[in-house]
Amino acid sequence: MAEQHSQSLSGLLSGLVQLIYYRNSGITEQMLKEQLYPDLPQQDFRILLEKMAGILRSIASADMDLNQLEAFLTAQTKKPNGITPEQATVLTKFWKSHKVKIRESLINQSKWENCLRNLSWRVDLKSQSRHLDQINTPVAIVEFELGKNNQESEFLCLELNEIKVNQLLNKLAEIEKSIGALSYIS
Amino acid sequence: MRSEGRVEIRATNHRAPIPRCPMERCDFHLERGYIEGAGPQLRGAEVLPLDMADPQTQQGTAWAGFDNVVESVSKLPQDLFAEVCQQIMLYLQCKIPGVNTLEMVERLQAAGVELDLEATKELVHVISLFFRSAAQSNMSAEELIAKLADSSSKWSKQMLQVVRHVWTEQGKLIATPEDAKHMLTVGQLVDLEWKLGMAVSSDNCRSLNHPYVTMMLKVANPSGEIISRSFEMTIPQFQNLSKQFREVATVLEMV
Repeated sequence: MAEQHSQSLSGLLSGLVQLIYYRNSGITEQMLKEQLYPDLPQQDFRILLEKMAGILRSIASADMDLNQLEAFLTAQTKKPNGITPEQATVLTKFWKSHKVKIRESLINQSKWENCLRNLSWRVDLKSQSRHLDQINTPVAIVEFELGKNNQESEFLCLELNEIKVNQLLNKLAEIEKSIGALSYIS
Repeated sequence: MRSEGRVEIRATNHRAPIPRCPMERCDFHLERGYIEGAGPQLRGAEVLPLDMADPQTQQGTAWAGFDNVVESVSKLPQDLFAEVCQQIMLYLQCKIPGVNTLEMVERLQAAGVELDLEATKELVHVISLFFRSAAQSNMSAEELIAKLADSSSKWSKQMLQVVRHVWTEQGKLIATPEDAKHMLTVGQLVDLEWKLGMAVSSDNCRSLNHPYVTMMLKVANPSGEIISRSFEMTIPQFQNLSKQFREVATVLEMV
């Protein structure tokens, strides 16, 4: 019986995540009730749903680590109309396995700029040319595919010789240094 | 811009070959006979889906009376007309850099067709225009045939049959100017600016703690116009970018 409850709760949490974070329009509250809690009175289901949604939101919003999670859930079990220890266990297990994906979707929701969708490149070598000085010059053609949420990609195509590529690499090294410093601080 | 000479590809990462529609390659192979710019030409950030040879032609007039051309077409045996259409399709699909009209005229004359270079060029030009126009409007073979029949009374059943066949088989593969619209020409990198940011919080998440890299590229088009584009990357995406560029540098050194 307890096993059944745990499974249903697990399913409910998955459904909530689809609704809240992945904005999956294929899932509705009604569906969740019918599939997971068919025998529960509507009112009770609503209460359960809201309680779990609230807890999930708090956990995700604070990006809780396991210690924080344990403390938070323990506190919830002690509240009147809180959660049961079994429910706390299900929640813990759920967060452990879904944390990364939920975080990713939260990050993407606040990303409104162009992002780099793809990078393609090739290196060409001119073997014949009207301008003799351009023979045997290797050149890189790099294509950046850029796009914003749900919009079509824009392609930015660049031609870079060896010098330019090395200059670029120097800049990239500067960025990597900054990133290193960041990890050190945080 | 590298507008002349032969180019061999020496290395590439294993994604789709670029550019998607080799517009710059239309300038190559300016050997005897290729029509220059009979296809999409890029100017700065714009794409003009019209022939360089006839910049005034609007899409509408592509359908106006082309009796001369249809008369030329009627001089071709069905299989040769099919070949011509096929060549044009290959060009519009960016599989060949141009249609070699000199070679074509020689072939036609060897087969006994009385068409000179001018008439052949006009034929290729016009057929390219209406194929490209049809691709832009997403026409079905039947719609295309109907439009052609409207444009001139001189189309014969056999000729239209050829067009129907070629279009049904290959019409979908044409790179329309819409595809090309979001491509910019191959530019030179003028400057790269960057910033490392940390997204602390958002309306959905109090504790976002997400570092990201923003890059701003300043690129000079062949026309001299400078455009800038910025984009964001996660740290792993940035590291992948670095890795790719290191590979590029290695290949450049080796070549």
